[in-house]
Amino acid sequence: MDFLVRIEESGFSQWVREADSLLAFPGILLLHTIGMGLVVGINAVFALRVLGFAPSLRLRALEKFFPVMWTGFWINAITGTILLAVNATKLTHNPDFYIKLVFIALAVINIFLLKKRVFIPEGVPPSSMAKILAVTSLIFWLGAITSGRLLAYVGRSSGVF
Amino acid sequence: MNPAHMHLLLNHVPTIGFAIGLVIFVAALLLKRSHLRRAGLVIFFLAAAITITTYVSGNDAREALKESPDISDPLMQAHESAALVAFAFMQITGFFSWVGLWIWNRPSRFGRWNMGLVFAFAAVTFVLMARAGYMGGAIRHPETGSAETIPIDPSAPTLARSWGMFTQDYSWVWPACETLHFVGLCLLLGVVLVVNLRLLGVGKTLLPVATLSQLLPLGMLGFGLNMVTGMMFFVATPEQYTGSFFFFKMVLIVVGALNLLCVMLGKTLEIMEDGPAGIWTRFLAATSIVIWMAVVFCGHMLPWLGNSF
Repeated sequence: MDFLVRIEESGFSQWVREADSLLAFPGILLLHTIGMGLVVGINAVFALRVLGFAPSLRLRALEKFFPVMWTGFWINAITGTILLAVNATKLTHNPDFYIKLVFIALAVINIFLLKKRVFIPEGVPPSSMAKILAVTSLIFWLGAITSGRLLAYVGRSSGVF
Repeated sequence: MNPAHMHLLLNHVPTIGFAIGLVIFVAALLLKRSHLRRAGLVIFFLAAAITITTYVSGNDAREALKESPDISDPLMQAHESAALVAFAFMQITGFFSWVGLWIWNRPSRFGRWNMGLVFAFAAVTFVLMARAGYMGGAIRHPETGSAETIPIDPSAPTLARSWGMFTQDYSWVWPACETLHFVGLCLLLGVVLVVNLRLLGVGKTLLPVATLSQLLPLGMLGFGLNMVTGMMFFVATPEQYTGSFFFFKMVLIVVGALNLLCVMLGKTLEIMEDGPAGIWTRFLAATSIVIWMAVVFCGHMLPWLGNSF
């Protein structure tokens, strides 16, 4: 508890929270939004392609866009950690925050499971297991976005974001 | 020059600009000229895009005038609600026109059906837009005598105000729309990135450009989701979305629509196979990514650089 307060009251956290600069809180939250667009956007295109949308797009080609997705993921891991540090005590007391983390963990595990079943020799259509994983991937990201957005409305962190 | 000033410039696009499109489209159907028909679709799509800026700038005009003693606020509110209905039909017309352009080179029964849909929605849009324009003109032009012809009941909430009350009465509506606005953002950005990064060369040995066209409806779905949820915010609390910064976001969306039109009409997505794209195509691809990122930036920065919340 004391540890969380110390992080929250550190000079950096105070700057992010209170500085009258667009690079502080607004900029970090903006990067978090753009990172979300990269991760979920590429992931959604990939999952929908597995489900049969845009059938002439070769699945293997979409693997070339995975670095964009992982860039978004690391942007959000870093900005997310900063946003947590700034409001450590409120967020760690908000059950919704843990729901969001669980959804993200499930979504990331899901990407690896789906990749293994889809990037197989050409010409083999995605298995039904792959399609189920594509659906769960969309559900997990939808869950992460929803619980993330609701952090501003429910529990002790409401009014922060 | 402020958005209220822009409203005066832009308010002829949804009426007169759209009417030109309608005349061309009907002439094309009667004379069976396919190029003319395509031109009609392009005008409808552009008119729908520009109408976004017309609609939102009207809000600035009302904010500036609502305290004026010689201006009737109930009349402005009636104009707002008439414009809202016309706006909805305009966007539907624009959407089906876009679908018509998207399936242009693939003749199908649906394509013919779609032309009928475009015509039906365009005809209704024109009537509704003319009505909205008539009411708008009545606000500042007593010489026409049209203000007296418009029945107004100031005690009854207008359509736009009832919409606003709906979002206030049900506290879940706003966060739900925000969440969907994020979902739409992800879909749009995902498609924008895959299509344009491919045009810039990513995955060019594996991904023929011709297949990219299949992704566009997904991006359109994302955009549509954000247009609907964005309008939920805008119509409910119009006073939050005045000023140049929000207007700039809407202008960027129109530029994004123009960019898409250039890519689709330039046959970029049809003739180019593997290999590097031309300099014009790469320019369009790079600007598309910049435009949509800038749209996200403007939306996100509204509380800090605009005047929301």
